[in-house]
Amino acid sequence: MQHTRRAVVFGVAALTAPWVRAQGSLSFRFALTPVFLDNDAAVIGALRAALASGMGQEIELVQRRTYQEISGALLDGSVDSAWTCGYPYLQHRSDFSLLGVPVWRGNPLYQSYLIVGADDPALGLDDLRGGVHAFSDPDSNSGFLVTASDLARHGDTPDGFFSRSIFTYGHRNVVRAVAGGLTRSGSVDGYVWEALSVAEPGLTARTKVIARSEWLGFPPFVARRDRANEPSVSACRSALLGLSGTIEGQEALRLLFLDGVVPGDDALFEGIAARMAALGGG
Amino acid sequence: MMALSRLRSLPVTVRVPLLTASLMILLGLLASQGVLTALGRVQDARLSETARLHVEGLSVALGPSVVRQDVWEVYDILGRARSAYDGQRLLLSIVADERGRILAATDPPRAPVGDDISGFREGAVPPSAIRMTGEPVLRVNASLLYQGREVGSVVTEVDVTDLLAERREVALWLLFGNAAATALLAFAGWLAVARLLRPVATLVEAMDDSRGAPRPVQQAAIPRGDPGFARLLETYNRMTTEVERRAEAERRLAERERFVSLGRLASSLAHEVNNPLGGLLNAADTIRTYANRPEVVRESAELMQRGLSHLRDITRAMLDQNRLDRTGQPLRPEDFEDLRLLFEPEAASRGQMLDWDMGAGPASLALLPAAPVRQIVLNLLLNAGTAAGRDGRVGFGAANGAGHLSITISDNGRGFGPGDLCRLMASGPLPLGGGVGLRLVHDLVESLRGTIEHERRDGTTRIRVDLPLDEVDHA
Repeated sequence: MQHTRRAVVFGVAALTAPWVRAQGSLSFRFALTPVFLDNDAAVIGALRAALASGMGQEIELVQRRTYQEISGALLDGSVDSAWTCGYPYLQHRSDFSLLGVPVWRGNPLYQSYLIVGADDPALGLDDLRGGVHAFSDPDSNSGFLVTASDLARHGDTPDGFFSRSIFTYGHRNVVRAVAGGLTRSGSVDGYVWEALSVAEPGLTARTKVIARSEWLGFPPFVARRDRANEPSVSACRSALLGLSGTIEGQEALRLLFLDGVVPGDDALFEGIAARMAALGGG
Repeated sequence: MMALSRLRSLPVTVRVPLLTASLMILLGLLASQGVLTALGRVQDARLSETARLHVEGLSVALGPSVVRQDVWEVYDILGRARSAYDGQRLLLSIVADERGRILAATDPPRAPVGDDISGFREGAVPPSAIRMTGEPVLRVNASLLYQGREVGSVVTEVDVTDLLAERREVALWLLFGNAAATALLAFAGWLAVARLLRPVATLVEAMDDSRGAPRPVQQAAIPRGDPGFARLLETYNRMTTEVERRAEAERRLAERERFVSLGRLASSLAHEVNNPLGGLLNAADTIRTYANRPEVVRESAELMQRGLSHLRDITRAMLDQNRLDRTGQPLRPEDFEDLRLLFEPEAASRGQMLDWDMGAGPASLALLPAAPVRQIVLNLLLNAGTAAGRDGRVGFGAANGAGHLSITISDNGRGFGPGDLCRLMASGPLPLGGGVGLRLVHDLVESLRGTIEHERRDGTTRIRVDLPLDEVDHA
């Protein structure tokens, strides 16, 4: 399934890449993860300013609805680099290379949270059988893979375990769906939930975390492997790694509740790979 | 019926303003109803438009998401639509797929994903048919159309509490406004009508105060600015004057009746006086001629004495008849003798036979005043004498009854005509023509609390007057 989809995406990307590039501008196109706090104009503005400052060129931030679109855009060259999730990174490990991994609370790691309504008596995933569940994105590690792989380890699938599962294409949307009672439970990025608990405490207060995954590799910055050595991509990598060293970078990191960006390596994502394997085996 | 008769018994100055106020209230109610109906129509149109726009907007926005069964998109769009629309009015929007299963709602706990929407369709109407029913929350049900086909449905709960409050407020304002306007107009109507009808009130007051004797309305109270009422009051004043004048005339007529009755006797009394005079003159001549004949002188002197005594009696009776009303003397048998003395010449002049039966004792007579009884008997005798005609028969009888004096006058004349009988027996207005003698009899008997009975039998008319003897004050 994953291979088929990847092949289709890559095929489409290969066919459209020359045309897209021809339409491209001189600015560096940086795609943002749709599951992140992409609704905050201040965050986006600060990140663009920091990257532009670090790279010494114009930055165009590109937003897409799904990880699949981001991956496709990277592959077809319509964007030069992207902040994506560990899961799609691993899905396209042969095509993507790491530019850096953000550091959150001292480590380039985060967790997936299983959340329910604040007054829900559920204590764990097992208590959520038969309910409506909100995922973030089918290509999201914390917003889908973790829960799906947990179910797979027990021989269940989301469609079989839950009465209905929906994709909200945004971690914040998952929190909204659970807080608003649209779904009983949701799988959400722990980093986003924690950030939201500061930015929108009223929203997260209507939810509670009933399960946390193991620490997994933080959503990384990636670029197409075959373009990794292009000057603009290298400049982007340098700018990302040097964010904590500039005022604009520090401001962006502050707004993003991040400490900095480290080069990282694939070992960080072994946990995700294991879950992918569990899901694939299931 | 009771209320209606009670209303009719109210004065016109109260009734007309009441009717004015009632009409104003009715008018106010009709106007209020009209305003509320118009308001209701406006609110219905506004509601219908809101519901229609909401549903149409949702149809456009939700179509693709509903087709894809994208729960989150539907929820997100509903949330944004709620904030974009009049969020306070749209309480709940529920979107279901074509099978009627809920995809999302603005309030998921109330309408959970996957539940059947049919329960929420209860009482729901199409947007075009939504009307204010008095319920604070109304439901609208509409199909979601996308690319020409029905892909699902939407049920929306519309909060119309504010519209109901607006309606209530308008109703209250109308109520208070109309009440105030009605009260004001009713008061103004009261004043205007009371002012208009003031002459009537004055007239009623004058009539109420008169106690049988109409009192004229003062000239200052006559409204010169209102010719109709002025004429009415002037006519009333003329009427009261006429009534007073008539009463005065009747009083004077009664007063004169005594003289009239004597006047009617004048010629026969003159004969009665004249006849002895010839004998007296002859006697005087005889005395002068035969002064030396004592037996002739004595006889003539006796003749003169009898004649003069008769003249003295007649003049005394006439004087008494004219004077007794002022003296307040009690009745005596001599009064009846006087009457006989006065009437006999009248009867004799007509060749009538007079039956005189004085059967009443002096003790009982003394309980009655002389003047009115004498007048009653004299008038009745004169009337009987006239009725009996030449060679007729007139009767007088007086007798003591049980606690009363009974006087009967009879004649064999042709009987009373209706006019005379009315004068004698009734208290109503005097018929035209004729004198007031019989009416005076009626009034005098009434003043003595007596009764009059009339009987006509065997060609004889009998008038019986019964006068009670107790508690009579003839002072």
